[in-house]
Amino acid sequence: MKQILVLWPSFLVAGIAEMVFFTVVDPQQLFLFGKPVDFSPIATYSIGFFGFWLVCAASSLLTVFFQRPGEDINRAGRAGN
Amino acid sequence: MNHPDSQPIKLVPSQKAAETAEQEGSLYESRKKVYVRSISGVFANWRWILVWVTQLLFYGLPWLQWNGRQAVLFHLVERKFYIFGWVFWPQDVFFLAILLIISAYALFFFTAIAGRLWCGYACPQTVYTEIFLWIEEKIEGDRNKRMKLDKAPMSGRKFGLKAAKHTAWAVVALWTGFTFVAYFTPLKELLGSFVPFAFGSWEIFWILFYGAFTYFFAGIMREQVCKYMCPYARFQGVMFDPDTLIITYDEERGEPRGSRKKGVDPASVGKGDCIDCSLCVQVCPTGIDIRKGLQYECIGCAACIDACDEVMDKMNYPRGLIRYSTENALKKHWGRKEIVGHVMRPRTLIYGGILALVCMAFVWGLATREPLRVDVIRDRATLSREVAGGLIENVYQLQIMNMTEAPRSFEVSVSGLDGIRIADFGGQVEVPSASMHALTLQVRVPVDTGEPGSSNVIHFDIKAKDDTSVAVHEASTFLLPR
Repeated sequence: MKQILVLWPSFLVAGIAEMVFFTVVDPQQLFLFGKPVDFSPIATYSIGFFGFWLVCAASSLLTVFFQRPGEDINRAGRAGN
Repeated sequence: MNHPDSQPIKLVPSQKAAETAEQEGSLYESRKKVYVRSISGVFANWRWILVWVTQLLFYGLPWLQWNGRQAVLFHLVERKFYIFGWVFWPQDVFFLAILLIISAYALFFFTAIAGRLWCGYACPQTVYTEIFLWIEEKIEGDRNKRMKLDKAPMSGRKFGLKAAKHTAWAVVALWTGFTFVAYFTPLKELLGSFVPFAFGSWEIFWILFYGAFTYFFAGIMREQVCKYMCPYARFQGVMFDPDTLIITYDEERGEPRGSRKKGVDPASVGKGDCIDCSLCVQVCPTGIDIRKGLQYECIGCAACIDACDEVMDKMNYPRGLIRYSTENALKKHWGRKEIVGHVMRPRTLIYGGILALVCMAFVWGLATREPLRVDVIRDRATLSREVAGGLIENVYQLQIMNMTEAPRSFEVSVSGLDGIRIADFGGQVEVPSASMHALTLQVRVPVDTGEPGSSNVIHFDIKAKDDTSVAVHEASTFLLPR
């Protein structure tokens, strides 16, 4: 369930971000470490999508992490002692 | 289009709907597998019609040719979307936005009127689950056989059946993935790579990726996608009101439920019309019991209506113990006429009004779309310079976009200052069909023109030679040195 909560919303948002970003920006006009991107456009789109997905998933992961109620952490701490 | 070999319904009285009760509150991982019993009937037929229509469109469209190219192609490499006679550019993102707004309002509108029509009949999740279930039933048999097979220990026969099912699923899934990629990479290129199996690595990746998605969503996850992953399922409730058509169980008529012999008048045994055969639960793709009232898991597929109507026919009771009705209609005993009379209400009128307006804006936008677009960019590197012959020169780049599907020649001229002209330029430019031509122009004026150090508005006129109504009048500035 947690994996779904991390991966799925980030997938949806990454899809939207990909669409908006590459509608506005031509992959051929991007620069990578100061050099023009020389991947094929499909590769750029794909890498872009997974990049967005990764970033969004990181955010979802933090959300899931912080959602843990305080009691849980207290209990885990006591159990560890 | 029904399941041709679906079993005649056996009335199994008092088979409790306990299996669903157990499922509720269960976590995602420990969910009980829902064995969906296939059903035929009016609404099942509608679903199959929509399966055919949507899938013929989806699988068929990439094969369609138009003007010597693929009719529908979202060509990512060229950054152009071809949809029949139209060619859309990134600059047309406005239309995409409007299209999304139309989809959203259509969803609101239809949900307010008749609940989850989209989920029940047209959503890809429903459509592919239906196809995958059909394959499963063809290979493993009906609901009871499938449950028995899953309980049985692994044997040669079980392995064979499972392997056959998963192979058939995989074939459908891979073909779906291939079709999906064919919307973004021309089908001809993909087909050309088929025999030597020389797909680009990213094409292979996306075919497998989308194929795997189809396989897991339609074969394994099924109702869990609707229950846990679909955002629409979560917020559709806000578009419901007491006049929204939903699938309801007529509790007043059905209760107290219980088994009885065929043809017995329910009143004579002190019971309602529900014989508690639990078929409505068995056919439910999300495994809920509609008799507990409206639940967010209900995707509105109406399979329980088909099942119950069949049972009512067998018992010689009137149909419609489970039916499309509204909360108000059930409470106030309305007939069809009153239900229809309440379709028009502020909520639907507002949704419908906005939907109609946005649709009109979309059509108007498409109809008046300019077949020519020009961007004028002043060369910022050299502001202005004096060139031989006592002339001041400014450099501009013109991006001329021919949006039509025929090559066109355009006349380019400049005006706004005395003696202004374009150097070394024949006055016209040829732009191939559906493409952009970048043109660098040196525009010159005599040294004694205008005030030194001033910035002057000039205009570029770009006119199609074959149709003077296709013209663009674009402003820019001309700088004079001090």
